[in-house]
Amino acid sequence: MSKEKYDPYKGFRDLTGLWEKQMNSLLMAWADNSEFVKLSNRSMATHSRYMELLKKNQETMANLMNMPTKSDVQNVAKLTIQAEEKIDALEEQIWNLQDSFTEINKGNMEFFGELVSLSKEMKTELEKNAKELRETKKVKADLQKLRKELSDTNVLIAELQELRQGLAETSSLKSELQELKQELAQYQEPKTEAKEEKKELELAGVGLGK
Amino acid sequence: MAIESPVRIPALDYEKEMKRWSQVFKILSEDGPKIEHSPRQLVWRKNKTTLWYYAAEEKKYSTPLFFVYSLLNKPYILDISPETSVIAGLTKRGYDVYLLDWGTPGYEDSDISFDTYILDYLEKGVKRALRHSGEEEISVVGYCLGGTIASIFASITDLPIKNLIVATVPIDFSTGIGPEKWLEGMKNGQFEIDRLVDVYGTIPADYIYYGMKSLAPIYVSPYVGLMSRAHDSKYVERWRRMDKWLNDATPFTGAALKQMFNELYKENKLVKGELVIGGKKADLSKIDCPFFAVSSANDSLIAESQSLPIMDLVSSEDKTYKLVEAGHVSLALSGMFAPLVDEWLASRSTKVEDKTN
Repeated sequence: MSKEKYDPYKGFRDLTGLWEKQMNSLLMAWADNSEFVKLSNRSMATHSRYMELLKKNQETMANLMNMPTKSDVQNVAKLTIQAEEKIDALEEQIWNLQDSFTEINKGNMEFFGELVSLSKEMKTELEKNAKELRETKKVKADLQKLRKELSDTNVLIAELQELRQGLAETSSLKSELQELKQELAQYQEPKTEAKEEKKELELAGVGLGK
Repeated sequence: MAIESPVRIPALDYEKEMKRWSQVFKILSEDGPKIEHSPRQLVWRKNKTTLWYYAAEEKKYSTPLFFVYSLLNKPYILDISPETSVIAGLTKRGYDVYLLDWGTPGYEDSDISFDTYILDYLEKGVKRALRHSGEEEISVVGYCLGGTIASIFASITDLPIKNLIVATVPIDFSTGIGPEKWLEGMKNGQFEIDRLVDVYGTIPADYIYYGMKSLAPIYVSPYVGLMSRAHDSKYVERWRRMDKWLNDATPFTGAALKQMFNELYKENKLVKGELVIGGKKADLSKIDCPFFAVSSANDSLIAESQSLPIMDLVSSEDKTYKLVEAGHVSLALSGMFAPLVDEWLASRSTKVEDKTN
């Protein structure tokens, strides 16, 4: 025997689906003509006329009985909606103000930021300048030291010049001495010659005397 | 010795039958299902209109989504159950979602026209959504008549719309699902609604319900379908939610209905570029943002031929059209709209990580 379970609704469902589709097509085909459209329009117009009359009578009756009608409630509701619209418009204006404030705040913050960075830069510059000043002082001290050393050097130079002068004098003395020496040498030369002459003479005399 | 019957008698599943009939009894005796919404926050309220915010579970895209639903039905079809909710599907995928619920208009709203809906409600709602999200751009999604409204809005607004998505949208009113002679009658003045609208002010929800029903007056197959699958509790739950929604039509304001009937159905002004909203011409060629249109192949209310012309009317360079195997309601009811939107929108939305970098 088959294990397949019997579904008593499947066929019914399929048939209903087909029937529904066909019936809808049939109704549409019946309604798809100008006469039906005109008839619908006429029915609608009659209904509208009847409703207008009913509404008019209701308004008259309600007015006589001093009772508010749907139109009165409509008017009140419209006032509430108008108030809501005004609040919305105000909200949008508040947004614009908020936006402008935010913009201004943003500008201020940017300005403050710039100020802060400028102050920081100035501080850095100040520190740099102070450092440079310290260095300049140091350089000045060094310069003074150098100047002092320079003046010492000048003294030294003067001394050196003196020495040089002394040396020059010594040189002139030396040259004088040289000259004297030369002169002395020149003086000693005839003496030697005389000595030699005497010696020669002595030598010759000895020979003669004997 | 057992004798096998020559006639094959299928076995009846008694357990299943018991379950089926207990469910049918339950549906008949119990109140309608309660629709539980995804977690949401009220952002703005004006008259009957409410702007809801559904936060992304884990935000992936900074560009929020703004849903505009039809004026004929309630928008909770987009968030009908936790498993199949379109909105929950998108928040799970990382989008922040805003939904503009038009609410239920009363007699006092009879003079709300498309102009008022678009400029005083939709535009202000989008402004509030932008402000609430803190984003500079927003993607707008319009469903059914909400798509028509969203397209008109996108063509006249100065607000920054990043992407525009429309689903099952009626744009060309020269054609439609209804019988040919009805459409002809509307166009040549054989059928007028102005007097009826004036006397009622706001057309009651029942009239809207029966008006839509008139396109398929015999409506029994869903009930037979329910009976045949009543043993399946999940199906029953889904069916009940859909049934509740289908019977929950919205009243239509007189001024908007007159405008829709006379300017859209009768004169087809939107396609011709002659529709004027708030003093501005609603020219669809002014839509130049990335554009995505979805139509459902088995739509019983909006024909594909009504949606297709928008593809030629918009001037967007990045435009996509998709025809999906679904019905007018099932596209939202099944939740399949969420992955469709995500697939197209993901690459066209600003990602959170891109923004933070």
